[in-house]
Amino acid sequence: MTSSDDLEAGLLALGETLDVPSPPPAEVARAVRARLESLPGADGPPAPVAGAVRARLGSVEGADRPAPVRRAWRALRPGARPRRRAIVSVVAILLALFFGATPAGRAAVVEVLRFAGVELRIGDPGPLPSGVPSPLPGERRVTLEQAREQVAFAISVPSRLGEPSEVRVSDGGRVVSLFWPGVRLDEYDGVLEVAFRKELGPPWPDQVNLGTSQAWWIPAKHGLTYLPRGGGEAPARARLADPTLIWQQKGVGLRLEGVGDLQGALEIARSAL
Amino acid sequence: MLPCGEICHDIREGAPTDDDEAIARSLAGDLDAYEALVTRYSALAHRTASMLGAGDEAEDVVQEAFVKAYRHLATFRRGAPFRPWLLRIVANETHNLTRSRGRRAELVVKLTEVDPAKGEVPEDAAVATDRRSRLLEAVRTLPERERQAVVCRYFLQLSEAETAQVLDLPIGTVKSRTFRGLARLREGVARDLI
Repeated sequence: MTSSDDLEAGLLALGETLDVPSPPPAEVARAVRARLESLPGADGPPAPVAGAVRARLGSVEGADRPAPVRRAWRALRPGARPRRRAIVSVVAILLALFFGATPAGRAAVVEVLRFAGVELRIGDPGPLPSGVPSPLPGERRVTLEQAREQVAFAISVPSRLGEPSEVRVSDGGRVVSLFWPGVRLDEYDGVLEVAFRKELGPPWPDQVNLGTSQAWWIPAKHGLTYLPRGGGEAPARARLADPTLIWQQKGVGLRLEGVGDLQGALEIARSAL
Repeated sequence: MLPCGEICHDIREGAPTDDDEAIARSLAGDLDAYEALVTRYSALAHRTASMLGAGDEAEDVVQEAFVKAYRHLATFRRGAPFRPWLLRIVANETHNLTRSRGRRAELVVKLTEVDPAKGEVPEDAAVATDRRSRLLEAVRTLPERERQAVVCRYFLQLSEAETAQVLDLPIGTVKSRTFRGLARLREGVARDLI
């Protein structure tokens, strides 16, 4: 008795009468603006990366796109496949770093890649940082159960490593750090904002396959700085980090530090998927 | 529908008049232009977040979505429609929220009072209201996948292509989920009215 058109018309009419409370648009716009102004680098949307290298490469096809940013964004969509062009441009950039850049002509930071909430500043990082690592902001020891209640994302525990010997939550629940002897796994909410900055020189990082997605492997010791949520106070000093695998799953960024070989790190990462 | 729609922007001196111009100026760091864009899409973004399950946290979801949209504006393909691109971010933020809270994405909306049409007797108006609330209840109880497709297509009045982009689904999946949802609604509503 209810024809398809009746039902569709009924739904459209119903939609018109549904009341969704929302604040005045001008107020929302002001609030968004205030948040943007409080962020670091609020002068404009983050500029496409790879400027310096792109200039050197000339008109490499696909290099006119901000590949790493786009890749990180696309990877948020489940099942999204990285675009071929993006891969081409990343490979081109890394090849250029290998073969094109001479030490004399190279700027201190040649390239910035952003992936899974980590910014990789690749170039000549100068001397590695030293000194004891300082805790992340608001860092405290908790049990795994407490951590699960305190953070807004699902915590992955790699089955290969078993129960962590220690769990810490930092920065108001943005970061959970799991510890095993010699190994540390940081999991952090959101892969669009930069949570960690890594400064590294050769050997260059590698992009590797992890299941159906991608990961980056940083094979050598490097400088690591945590960037507090929303800019926050001045970032902590850089610390010396061991080889690290970074990847993302379901909007959560992960960095596994302390496993010296890529295969071992990948096996652990797979057991957390 | 927007209390302050296009007209308000047009009369504000120097405010961008269309999305493309607003985006170009935002990319150049003009926060006034981005504010205008936020104003333009705020109500729709709230409606989308609420209807896809953000509930009383829709305001937070929308703010976060606009902040992220600004920070990723460089990845927006110029000339493409802004609306589904933005709503995709809103839907994604809503999804993150409902998942992190471990709760089902409920359809949180209220029926508004509709003035009876001219000449309509109060009894008829009551019947119409009753029919609407039954239909809304039937939509609420649809399986989540079908409900989201139906909500996008009919409550948000998005095209199939826009729905596919916002929900990050192939267009065929949008079609089949909408079809199944409508079939289920038809059964339920028919049963109720007999």
